[in-house]
Amino acid sequence: MQRFLELIVRFKEYITLFALVVMCFSLMSYGNVAQLGGFRSIVIATIGTMQDAFSWIPNPVALKTENQAIRDLNLQLSGEVVKMRQSVIENERLRSMLEYKNKSTLPLLNSEVVGKTSTDTRNYITIDKGSASGVKDGMTVVTDAGLVGVVIGTSKSYALVQVVLNRDSRISAKIQRTHDDGIITWEGTENLVMKNIPKVQDVQAGDIITTSEYSTKYAKDIVIGSVLEVTSEGNSLFRKIIVKPAVSFSSLEQVFVVLQQPDPERLELEKKMEEILRRKTTGK
Amino acid sequence: MAAILDRPPITSQPQMRFVIYAIIALIVTVFSVVFLQFISVGGVGPDLLLILCVWVTLSEGQYAGMLFGFGVGLIFDITSPDVLGSNALAKTIASFIAGYFYSELRMSKNLSTVRFLSIIALSAFVHNLIYFFLYIQPTDISFVSFFVKNGVASTLYTTVLAIAPMLWRSRSMER
Repeated sequence: MQRFLELIVRFKEYITLFALVVMCFSLMSYGNVAQLGGFRSIVIATIGTMQDAFSWIPNPVALKTENQAIRDLNLQLSGEVVKMRQSVIENERLRSMLEYKNKSTLPLLNSEVVGKTSTDTRNYITIDKGSASGVKDGMTVVTDAGLVGVVIGTSKSYALVQVVLNRDSRISAKIQRTHDDGIITWEGTENLVMKNIPKVQDVQAGDIITTSEYSTKYAKDIVIGSVLEVTSEGNSLFRKIIVKPAVSFSSLEQVFVVLQQPDPERLELEKKMEEILRRKTTGK
Repeated sequence: MAAILDRPPITSQPQMRFVIYAIIALIVTVFSVVFLQFISVGGVGPDLLLILCVWVTLSEGQYAGMLFGFGVGLIFDITSPDVLGSNALAKTIASFIAGYFYSELRMSKNLSTVRFLSIIALSAFVHNLIYFFLYIQPTDISFVSFFVKNGVASTLYTTVLAIAPMLWRSRSMER
């Protein structure tokens, strides 16, 4: 017994350490007991009150960290706001497109603009639907806002569209209110020009211009734009009408291809007549 | 022995000394819990209680230091949201290690020279090793990266702050 006690005294530090370690591990597993948890919650609440009482003391390091965190959060939120705004705009545009597609009697194929090309005074867009989707040369391309252009080339998966803002554009158009016909061309500005409207005709700013049924290239009754300004040039018998395009070409993302080609029989006949007239005129 | 005899009359009584240690421990605990946030850098703060534990261990011996470390750690566990027993375990073992450097004859040297900082650094390293190991247990955080970032930084901060009591002891001995 004496030896045992001597042994304990001799190794008391190790025995105590072992006992304390065992107690610590016991406490770690005992820590979730409700009674002690309640006591701890009171202590922590008291400490929290004390911390709150001294919270007025400025802490430059914490403030700096907090500022940085807030800045980071602000940056992240700003990014999300931009994304949300874009989503709202895109949602509105897609809803509008969907509504147009549902209302339209034309066979429409929705497509996305994947490229824009500008060479001199000719503007083109590339869309992600081609011959595999039934897109063919001569098909009209529109949006819910109005006329975009005409397909002038296709590959299996893509199609090239000549937009109305093009030097080669000559669109047979009419004023929706009066049904007066004219020719729409582009002179390199942001607007279109409507010609061949006699001065006697009633044209007002705001009048809607649509494609005419006489057009062999474009589907009829598609909105081209609205009258922005009506001018009379000196002795000319005709008016020059500035037309604001209905479609915003700078923000063009989704379009519809009208899966209809001009009537080939009509095209053939008109082509033949043009040829005959040309020969008569030139005498060849 | 000379160091004990050199102590002021009140602190030469063991019971009185432990009462003073207990009061200091309570003050330091409250300070640590309430005010430590003001001296924390990047979420890393010094362990003032550990400095006190090592001080007590180097002054009173390994056995007393261990018990003191356990008690102080337990109080801190109760007053903080840490896992109950984690600080007690870490401080008990840290005090046990510091206890190996205890010597009545070299007490003044242990407390008033760079030796004190070395002991603090070693104890703090072991303390943080145990504490952070237990701290991250319920999470998926990598122990090595977490310890390198927080444990080593806390060890350095604690060691730097231990310069204050070391200098105080050194000055009081000169008087």
